[in-house]
Amino acid sequence: MNEPVIIARHLSHTYQSGPLRKAALIDVDLEIARGSCAAIIGVTGSGKTTLVQHFNGLLRPTSGSIVVDGIDVGASGADLKALRQRVGMLFQFPEAQLFARTVYEDVAFGPRRMGLDRRAVRSRVIAALETVGLPKREYGSRSPFDLSGGQQRRIALAGVLAMQPSILVLDEPTVGLDADGREEFYSYLWRARKERSITIILVSHDMTEVAALADTLFVMHSGRLVMQGTPRQIFAEGDQLRKWGLAVPPLSELLLLLRRRGAAIPATAFTLDEAFEALQNSGRISKTT
Amino acid sequence: MSSTPLIDIQQISYSYMLPRSGEDKAQSIPALREVSLQVWQEEYVVLLGHNGSGKSTLARHCNALLLPDSGRVLVAGHDTRDAKQRRALREMVGMVFQNPDNQIIATVVEDDVAWALAVRGMPAKEIRERVDAALEAVGISDLRELPPHRLSGGQRQRVAIAGLLALRPQCIITDEATSMLDPLSRREITQLLHQLNREYGLTIVQVTHLLEEAVLARRVVVMEQGRVVLEGPPATVFSDLDLLRSLKLAIPEPMALAERLRDAGWPIARTALTIDAIAKELAR
Repeated sequence: MNEPVIIARHLSHTYQSGPLRKAALIDVDLEIARGSCAAIIGVTGSGKTTLVQHFNGLLRPTSGSIVVDGIDVGASGADLKALRQRVGMLFQFPEAQLFARTVYEDVAFGPRRMGLDRRAVRSRVIAALETVGLPKREYGSRSPFDLSGGQQRRIALAGVLAMQPSILVLDEPTVGLDADGREEFYSYLWRARKERSITIILVSHDMTEVAALADTLFVMHSGRLVMQGTPRQIFAEGDQLRKWGLAVPPLSELLLLLRRRGAAIPATAFTLDEAFEALQNSGRISKTT
Repeated sequence: MSSTPLIDIQQISYSYMLPRSGEDKAQSIPALREVSLQVWQEEYVVLLGHNGSGKSTLARHCNALLLPDSGRVLVAGHDTRDAKQRRALREMVGMVFQNPDNQIIATVVEDDVAWALAVRGMPAKEIRERVDAALEAVGISDLRELPPHRLSGGQRQRVAIAGLLALRPQCIITDEATSMLDPLSRREITQLLHQLNREYGLTIVQVTHLLEEAVLARRVVVMEQGRVVLEGPPATVFSDLDLLRSLKLAIPEPMALAERLRDAGWPIARTALTIDAIAKELAR
């Protein structure tokens, strides 16, 4: 495992509104390895959004600490401007945040605000548009609003990439896209990850997606980090996840049902191939005995 | 089943006009090409297709949100182009969209459900009765006094459905109504639609790109490039998974596993489409 790029220790956050207090994060300890893909899962209100809002200093801990890419978010005098350049955020339906007249202008907005000179802005925009497969020579002068939904989302991604973040947080990035749109979005995201060795943090409730993409899953429930591990480890605990209101991927659920009915399928079987093998083997055993 | 369909779509075509930057003439993008479809009273139909296949455009023709360029749509015998009938039509056929927040107006759940009745000047007593019944039907009676923003996405979608039910419609159309929800809430909303169909005889048209939401429908209609390309009961439509793949639809892994095992000689009934049904077949 690489060195951790995010380290939270006893991280807690309590929202205070007048006399009302709500503990949204309670004593969270976690480490996310540099260059990995981590997914944070949990139902609405489990604290996952509150957690990721600490990653770029939108929120600061009410107790405990969180250090992101070397910056102690809770420290007084923490360089939040530097932090927000290092941590890119892409929210749900990011295309709703497109605003400029042309694709180029939209992607250039972030780097310009960083105070880069024209030439630097230009080279970043060109590189970012290249990464998301919408090259400047073809798309730069087009209106972002003439593009398809999936393309608009990639423009929004390019806008974040142009800031050259070391960490990219994506909140439900493919909601509303169909199978093709999802695959396309993730193929470009993966390209960005490879080219730029970015740490990816996904907030998602699509378990199939998370199972396929993430190296490590963090499960949030009622403000606490209740489980962490590889998708294979986490989804073997289907019954436990359901108690927290989370579904396992459909295939894991099927295998769980079969095991409950007495089929000899190892708890580690996880992919379609593994499930097929396991069933073929168990089938042969029951036929020969 | 009555002899006239509730919704009768006859040979309709529809194009979106897209303004082209720097040019005078708008670009015409055909979204529906001579589509015919009948939806019968008390039926449960799923319109399935990838983004851009035309399914939402078709759904929007069912309550006059869109009007066809050619052909016609009859709802309970009335042409959707007849402006005089439009209000009655929209009470008869209600629509639920992707994002419930776009449909929620009031600051308290029960007020939101009562909204459409109140603006129609209905007597208070009747409003109360209808709101009670609608909240009961979608299973959120206990949340009636909460502000909608305190609810989960699934609960908010139930509020939107209750608001339609209060108008006592014959048909509810859901347009990707689950796509912003987590998988469990997604399943619950589909279950709710089936329950409303079973218990109240409500006609349901569910628009989705997810096969798993279509497996329990009475009839599945698959769209591609503005046309109906496949139609039938789920067991028939889902018998050729390669065809569905070619229509850019994602195959749920349990179905893909059943297909592979079947090819390897396992006797798995083609009617087994849900996780439970496939498990039963495999554990026999």
